[in-house]
Formats: sequence, C-alpha cells, structure tokens
Amino acid sequence: MLSNLALGMGVALSLQNLFYAFVGCMVGTLIGVLPGIGPVATIAMLLPITFHLPPVAALIMLAGIYYGAQYGGSTTSILVNLPGEASSVVTCIDGYQMARKGRAGAALSIAALGSFFAGTVGTLIIVLFAEPLTQMAQKFGPADYCSLMALGLVAAVVLANGSVLKAIAMVFLGLLFGLVGTDVNTGAQRFTFEIPELSDGIDFAPIAMGLFGIAEIVVNLERKMSRSGAIKVTSLWPNREEARRAWPAVIRGTALGAVLGVLPGGGPTLGAFSSYTLEKKVSRRPAEFGRGAVEGVAAPESANNAAAQTSFIPMLTLGIPSNAVMALMVGAMIIQGIQPGPEVMTKKPDLFWGMIASMWIGNLMLVIINLPMIGMWVKLLTVPYRFLAPAILLFCAIGAYSLQNSIFHVEQVAIFGVLGYIFVRLGCEGAPFLLGLVLGPQMEEYFRRAMLLSRGDPAVFVQRPISLGLLITTAILLILMALPSLRKAREEAFQEEEG
Amino acid sequence: MNRFLSKDFLAGVMFIAFGLAALWFGRNLAPGTPVRMGPGYVPHMLSYILLVLGFLISLIATIYGGEPIEIPQFRPIALVTIGLVAFALLFETTGMFPALAALVLIASLGSEEFKILEVIANIVVLTILCVLVFKIGLNMNIDVLRGVW
Repeated sequence: MLSNLALGMGVALSLQNLFYAFVGCMVGTLIGVLPGIGPVATIAMLLPITFHLPPVAALIMLAGIYYGAQYGGSTTSILVNLPGEASSVVTCIDGYQMARKGRAGAALSIAALGSFFAGTVGTLIIVLFAEPLTQMAQKFGPADYCSLMALGLVAAVVLANGSVLKAIAMVFLGLLFGLVGTDVNTGAQRFTFEIPELSDGIDFAPIAMGLFGIAEIVVNLERKMSRSGAIKVTSLWPNREEARRAWPAVIRGTALGAVLGVLPGGGPTLGAFSSYTLEKKVSRRPAEFGRGAVEGVAAPESANNAAAQTSFIPMLTLGIPSNAVMALMVGAMIIQGIQPGPEVMTKKPDLFWGMIASMWIGNLMLVIINLPMIGMWVKLLTVPYRFLAPAILLFCAIGAYSLQNSIFHVEQVAIFGVLGYIFVRLGCEGAPFLLGLVLGPQMEEYFRRAMLLSRGDPAVFVQRPISLGLLITTAILLILMALPSLRKAREEAFQEEEG
Repeated sequence: MNRFLSKDFLAGVMFIAFGLAALWFGRNLAPGTPVRMGPGYVPHMLSYILLVLGFLISLIATIYGGEPIEIPQFRPIALVTIGLVAFALLFETTGMFPALAALVLIASLGSEEFKILEVIANIVVLTILCVLVFKIGLNMNIDVLRGVW
C-alpha cells in the first residue's frame, strides 16, 4: 500500500499534474463561490477540453473542480448568506449568523480546516478500500454486473430528490438514449436516423452540457438574482471555546459524510444535511442552532467534503457512478479511451494512485487558496449574472465544437438544452437520466452476455449468489420506498433541504 | 387549476411519447430470441417499460392531482437556443469572432437589463479570453475570422 501511495505521489507531484490540480481547485473554488453554476454544469462544460489533455491530468483537474466547489461554496454561505452550492445550503444557517456576530473569520477557518481534515480522512478511506473492493469486483460475472448496475440505479433513485416513479422513468429514458448508435453484437444501426455522427453512439458531453449547463442558465435567467453586501473579515483565528466545540463536530461530520458519500445517490448534499441534523440532536445546546452555533458550520462543511471524496470509491473500483458528477467522470474516462471498472487499478496504476494522491494535495492547495485570498473571491460575487450567462454559453458552444471539430455537436447541445429545460419544468431530475445514459450500453452488453451464457434462462440472475444478493437488496430498497411512513420521512428530509 | 396541467401528468405524457417514438423508430430492429438477442430486444423492452411507467405517472396525477406546472417564460429558452444555432451556423462559414458576437448578443437579449455598451465590452473580453484559451493555450485549429486569421 505504501508503495502504491509513493507511486501516486510521484505522479501527482509532477509539475504538469500539480498545475492541473491547481487549475481544477481554482475553477472549483470560483464556481463554488458563484451562485448559479454548479460542479455538474462546469465539469460537463470542460469535458471536451479534457480531450486535449493527458488522461491523468484531465481526471486530476475534474476531480479538483468537484471538491474545490465544496470549499468555495462555504465562503459565500458564511459571508453573504448565499449558498454557492447545494451542499452549502445548511452552512448558511449558522455560518451567516456567526459572521453577523463578528466571527466570520473563525467560521471561515473552521470550515476550511474541517474540510481539509475531512478530505484527508476521505482520501485515506479510498486508499484502504480500493484494493479489497477491486479484488471483489474481479470475481463478478456478467449477471452479477448487471444486477450491481441495477442496484446502483435504483439506489440513486431512492436517494434522489422528488418523485420516485418519475426518477425511475428517467433512468429508463437514459438507458434508451444510451442505446443510440451501432449495435455492438450485430452491427445494426439503432435510432441513428442516418446521421453519420450518431453511428458511434450519442456523444455524452453535449448531452450533459445541454441538460445541465444550458438548462441551468435558462432557469437562472428566468428568475432575478439578488445580491446582498458581504461582511468584512477581521481575524481568521477561532478562539479556544470555538475550537473546543468544533473538533468533535468535525469528526462526527467526517464520519457521517464518508459513509453517505459511498452510497449510490448520496454525496455532499445529503452528507451536509444529515450531519447538521445529527449535530442538532446530540448537542447540549440545541437552542443555539440557527443563532450561530460553531457545530452547525463545522459538521456540515466536513461532511460535504468527506462525501465528495468517498463518492469516488464506487466509480474508481467498480466503474459504477453514484451521482451525476461521477457519471461525468466516467464520461471523461471513456473520452480518454479508458473503460472504468476494476481493471483501471491493475492496468493503469499510475492513473489510479496518481488521482488519489492528487486529491490530498488538492485539498492542501484549497486551504491555501481559500483562506488568505478570501477578499478576492468575495469581490467576484459582484459580477452580475448577465455577464456570466453568455460566457458560460460560449464555453459550452466552443467546447462542443472542439469535440470533433463539427457543428453537429453544437446543435446537439441546443437540442438537449431544450429537452433539459422541459425536464426542469416537469420536475424530472437530470441525474438519474445521466446515470442511465452512462450505464446503458454496458448494462445491455452484460445482460445479453449473461442471457447467452445461461441459454436464455433469466434464472441466472437469481442463481448466482452475488447477483441474487444484489437483486434482493434492490428489491428491499424498492419495497421500503413504497412504505408510506418511510416515504413521508424522505419527503420531510428533502423539504428541509429546500427550505 | 386543470388537473391535466400538473407537472406529473405532463411528465407521464412525455414518457409515453418517448416510449411510442422509440417503438416506432425501432420497428425494423429484429428483437431476436432471449438466447440470441437481436438489436431490437433491449430497445423494445425499454420502450414498453417507459409506456407502463408513463401511464402510471399520468394515472396517479389524474387521480390525486399534482403540483401545477409553472407557466414557462419563452424568452430566455428561445433566445439561448437561437443563439446556439446562430453560433453553429456562423462558426464554420465566417469564423469564431462573428459566431461569438452573435451568440453573446442574442443571449444577452434574454436578460432583463440589456445595455448595448456592456454587451460590446463582454464580447471584447470574451474574444480575447477565447483566443488565449483555445487558440493559443490549447492550440486548437480555429479561425478567428475566416480568411483573415
């Protein structure tokens, strides 16, 4: 394990990779600070550009954007009561109150140091679990893989916001879109409408840009964005009392976030909300929550960062993305010609360990980027959205063009922008669609292979113990969702999120 | 509010429409047998599942009612789409600069506070940025103004 880490450090510390980790962290902090653009839209936008970079550098940069956004989001939550990211919404509650009491600096440094601690622990967890999980995954047959993907998709739906039935339908719609192109087994053209660009399959990047980038811009243009003045930061150091109260909360937040991050459909937002609720329950001073409790900043900020790190585990070891950002990372790997899955670790150890090592280095960079340069980030908030929207659009358009130097992809972005807008208006989540789209081709492949091996007997999915266990878990999740009491609890959990 | 104008009902209709479209356009794909599946087996299966789910979603929405759909504002989505199409049409024929200017101008019309000087300033800044990032930084083969640079 130590030799693996040494290999990873060697890769991550090369000048080029350090540079791209830095770029990723800067961009991540930037979009974390700016409301109205999140990590999903940004990574979707930058996917075509990564095509021009070496694989390790590309993935290091994209990962940096993801966890960098968790740091940036907390800054605006604390200083202007405006969450830059969904995962920082809860930080607003107590963070802004602390800032109003003149403890803005303390809140910021607790958030940053808590995040750093959580990021370090998260990275260590990846190192510990990567090898055993990968070895387990190598024993999987086609039927097992098919069931594993089914479990991943269902779990993502259960934990997603909004109507379960609609989310399941979105998964199937995504799977259907994933089938566009030439059928691998027979060479038949499916849903290509005689457009040559579609015969290799529908490109992933323009869809993600349209669904997340364009639709997000349009929705933001529809509602007015109000900005309030920022609070001045004086001293950055927390006092002894604050530090004493913060560190147990940081540890609890890290633990909860790390567990929730691994679950399919989990991730930073779920981690942040759950840990805030937990802190409120275990605190001896629950009345202080909402009035500037230190724990209310320390726990969710640690949790979202821990979850951001551990959500890489299912993607890196099994090739199964657990949320929309991870689906985009899978897309980035496929663009680079790497098939995500357990082979990545054995066949490309430099990529695998380099990426993990870079996450720890990136976290260290973020503390340095965020704390001393806080003034600069806050200034950026004064840039009005009417300047940003055309700039984001433009980057999407040029990025889509650069995929294959063809305007077909720009038109595809426009089409999926309209579709994404319809999804938003109808209350259909884009994330399950994206997961279905990414897993669709592989899932069909495994399904057909499993059925061929079993001579057309679907019983193969319940005869293999691994597959059976996964399917039973899937069924239990679905049944749990149908129980009225649980459905109510889930709705309440998400209500709090929106409020 | 009309119960047929709820988000859920319309979403169900959308899924049914996608299911029917996939069945229609995939009608020539051979389904094959479960042992040797043809190219049409999985698409047909998915289409039928979508039809059933869409029907269920709509049915539940008509019985229990649902959240009414917000009246969409057509201006932003229309202008953004037109901007992207204009960009696509201009990019290969005239080069990056005209396409960029058209996209930024059209998209800016979508926001409520439109000031022409601001838009021009935005175009200038973005042009410089794009030349630096894409042409010089990433060394892409892009014409800034076709035939000139």
